[in-house]
Amino acid sequence: MKVLEVVELTKRFGELVAVDGLTFHVDKGDIFGLLGPNGAGKTTTLRMIYGVLRPTRGTVRVMGVDVVRDPVKARSYMGVLPEESSVYPRLTAEENLIYFGKLKGMDEAELRRRVKELLEALDLEEKRYVIADKLSKGQKRKLAFARAVLNKPPLLILDEPTSGVDVMSAREIRSLIRQYAQEGSTIIFSSHNMWEVERLCKTVAIINRGKLQHLGSVEELKRLSESKEFEEVFVKLVKGEVGEAV
Amino acid sequence: MRLFKGSSGVVRVTRGLGQLGYSLPDKPWLVVAWKELVEALRDRRTIVNVILLPAIMMPIFIALPMMIMSPKTVPPRIMVSIQDPEAIEIANYFRELKDVNLTIKVEPVNVTDLIINQGYDLVVEVPQGFYSNVSSGGSGVIYYYYDPYQMRSTLAMSLVQEAINDYSEKVLKRRLEAVNLTEEYISPVQSISVQVTAEGEQVSPGEIMAAMIIPLMVGIIAITGAGTFAIDMIAGERERKTIEALLTAPVKRIEILLGKFTTLTLLSFLSGVSTIVSSLVGVSLMVSPMAVPYDNQTAAMATQIIEPSRLPLFISGVLLTVVLGGLTGNAIMVMAASLAKSFKEAQQYVGFLVMILMVPMIAVPYVPQSLYWLMRLLPIASLAMLARDLIVNPNWTNVLTSLAFTLLYLAVFLVLSSKMFDRESLVFG
Ligand SMILES: Nc1ncnc2c1ncn2[C@@H]1O[C@H](COP(=O)(O)OP(=O)(O)OP(=O)(O)O)[C@@H](O)[C@H]1O
Ligand SMILES: [Mg+2]
Repeated sequence: MKVLEVVELTKRFGELVAVDGLTFHVDKGDIFGLLGPNGAGKTTTLRMIYGVLRPTRGTVRVMGVDVVRDPVKARSYMGVLPEESSVYPRLTAEENLIYFGKLKGMDEAELRRRVKELLEALDLEEKRYVIADKLSKGQKRKLAFARAVLNKPPLLILDEPTSGVDVMSAREIRSLIRQYAQEGSTIIFSSHNMWEVERLCKTVAIINRGKLQHLGSVEELKRLSESKEFEEVFVKLVKGEVGEAV
Repeated sequence: MRLFKGSSGVVRVTRGLGQLGYSLPDKPWLVVAWKELVEALRDRRTIVNVILLPAIMMPIFIALPMMIMSPKTVPPRIMVSIQDPEAIEIANYFRELKDVNLTIKVEPVNVTDLIINQGYDLVVEVPQGFYSNVSSGGSGVIYYYYDPYQMRSTLAMSLVQEAINDYSEKVLKRRLEAVNLTEEYISPVQSISVQVTAEGEQVSPGEIMAAMIIPLMVGIIAITGAGTFAIDMIAGERERKTIEALLTAPVKRIEILLGKFTTLTLLSFLSGVSTIVSSLVGVSLMVSPMAVPYDNQTAAMATQIIEPSRLPLFISGVLLTVVLGGLTGNAIMVMAASLAKSFKEAQQYVGFLVMILMVPMIAVPYVPQSLYWLMRLLPIASLAMLARDLIVNPNWTNVLTSLAFTLLYLAVFLVLSSKMFDRESLVFG
């Protein structure tokens, strides 16, 4: 089943075509990695998927719902961690989660359970009653991650989820991503960490200058570029040294 | 509510108040409104901006100048130099003056030194030959030496002038009796002024002040008071990078806006109420006998600011101004804050708007009556006119006209603000 379907997705910023006719889909339970050099259009693509940017052309469907036509319904299927996203500095860690839980319409008991579970899993338990202003950068990022996955939505959209967090927390976030995928969530995320991508992703899309360059499983891309190191695979594919672009 | 925020940043609250709890209702706009309120309350500046500032500003602006000017607070220093040994009668009139710091000398004085160096507000000179001029049917001359830069000098002159008028009147009476004439004979025309108000009765100076100043002050505060919060809730949310995540919640943007709007309106309402209370205090201080002791009429009427039978209309007029002003002002502020590309820009827009929006409010008392119809049709001015029409002259055609136009503009501003809030650039500047 296609949880996410992107067709001919295009975004122009004036003269610049930041995303240029992207077409791909993500199946249920998949962990989909969106890769590309800086400025490739990953964030712009994800922003159109979660509906804060309007596509210039093309469509995005989440669980069959058009994101532009019925944004509220489409967003009810998503949990989003934007690239540069922070938390409310004057609310405590717990309150930050309660706020989003309430906006997502979670019921009280479930919300309580999830807040406790996530704060523990992400090693934020002792910051529960601390206003977020007093958290470290990585702790804020973890809190923003918890906010995104709070209600275990069918589709998780994570823009560089592990950037800026410590080794243990990055590992915890990866294990949560894997766990949610096993439980039936679908995940699309962007990352610059090839090691992480290799371990997590079933499917990988490499985009460059807004265009989809390669799409396939980690193994397929390795074969295509005749390399064992995934980082090398990425570099070769982006530079266009090997393989046919899709 | 017990809110404690220690240096560790730990927030402990005994009950659900002032906190975002699990039992919050599910309505998204209520959740947003409550969260904004909690955040606003945790910012110390909020209490200062919303309650304290309007509370102390009004008495300071309205009453303080009067209090300082009042001779009761600091009696003006007056030196009387009587160089005519025969001028005993007028000297007695001077001695009876109240609320002045008076020194009488019988020799010539150095006027410049007294006023420039010694801080006297007024020097009065009764020159030689004064009494013989007065008693021989001529005119006795008295000199005032004063500091043109000192308001207190003018005050001192008006106090002394009263004593001189009393003396002059007494002399005049004597002269008229001697030639068998009445006072009416030498003042063939007299003028009497009578107040005409819709209520058909005399109104106290307190009431005049209250009717003119309070709705405007309150309106200004309601319109402009929540500007800083509008910046914080919209431009601030972008600046702190929380807005993008917020807009991914499965909630209509209009509901998010409604929630923010609710809290903004509540805050400007609080501000407005604080202004009402403090304006009333300011006005009563101003018209109290203490402030203007030499006017008996004022003293008699000052005990009452608003006549009790007019109080309901007054209060509903002011409250309506607060609510409609708050809504209108917040719609405009939300528009500005959504349009701005950055926090700084939002501050500039709002600062500019605050000044612009105050102009029609302040202008109302000065506009000629023939232009009132126009004022009722213009944005913001219609609100000021509504307050005036309700409180001073409740003619229903006028009240309904200004109400209709106020509501029309409010609707326009609300639609525009929701349009602005819906733009892509809200997130990205
Ligand atoms: N709001 C915007 N207005 C104008 N141009 C934009 C805007 N957002 C992004 N761009 C441009 O679009 C292109 C793609 O940007 P995007 O943020 O999607 O890249 P990215 O792949 O996420 O890069 P990174 O790895 O650095 O996060 C860039 O050239 C960027 O300058
Ligand atoms: Mg990016």
